[in-house]
Amino acid sequence: MRVPALLVMHADLAAALLRAAEKLFGPVEDVAVLSNEGLSRDDLERAITARVASWPNGGLVFTDVWGGSCHQCGASAARGRGEVVVVTGLNLPTLIDYLHNRDQIGVIDLAQRLLQKGQASIRLQRGQPA
Amino acid sequence: MSWTLHRVDDRLIHGQVVVAWGGRMRPQRIWVVDDASASDPWEREMLSTVAPGIEVQVVTVAEAATRYAAEAAAAGGAFLLVRDLATALALVEAGAAIPSFTLGGLHYVPGREKVNEYIYLDAGDRRAARALIARGVALEVQDVPATRPQPLLALDPATAAP
Repeated sequence: MRVPALLVMHADLAAALLRAAEKLFGPVEDVAVLSNEGLSRDDLERAITARVASWPNGGLVFTDVWGGSCHQCGASAARGRGEVVVVTGLNLPTLIDYLHNRDQIGVIDLAQRLLQKGQASIRLQRGQPA
Repeated sequence: MSWTLHRVDDRLIHGQVVVAWGGRMRPQRIWVVDDASASDPWEREMLSTVAPGIEVQVVTVAEAATRYAAEAAAAGGAFLLVRDLATALALVEAGAAIPSFTLGGLHYVPGREKVNEYIYLDAGDRRAARALIARGVALEVQDVPATRPQPLLALDPATAAP
């Protein structure tokens, strides 16, 4: 069973990340995007709650910054929904990994996998001294 | 030094507060003054985790007013956040000697009129703003430190002349 997802981020980041992912992965279904721009805390929480309510078996709420309004409203929307997990700090490699694994792995295990993959996805390539 | 920012923002602690203001002013503590959050253990617990490295206290208006002066003398910087102008006024009326509030985010809800991209006010908001100004509390509009603060009255003449 596929794990659905919602990307909630600042400005146009969610839509841009999804568009970039589609360049690498191909067309994507069952991923919604939402910007917090111009939304009060209550309106943002309502918008996330409405999406989460359409997931009978849970899903993942991806946000950009831990502690941001997207994260906090996601946490509020996941209150009482143990099978909904908020994953903060989403980047493109992690989103791609989600897309590759969302049909094989359950929501909790998938969230744990993305935590590891996301942290491992930040790497350094040092410049070569002249 | 203690109080370095008093902010009115319906998102309370969020990215602008932690990243922009926090990154520049490095507060040791953030007080969220909000009766609803203070009465909800889950909200208190969540708010305590959202600003890594900063001590977050979630307090009622009455508790904040009582402890405000002592905190003002504490070491290190502190932010005070309220979600609306009515709470700001209630805090001042309860005895907290707050010199100014920064209006950082009061977003659109039906019935509110646009002041700028991130400040929308209704008649009740403007009444609270006038009462604060009448008590000598300065109200400035500024979302992040990199933008120029502007007096609310300059941006919103309707607050001055109902």
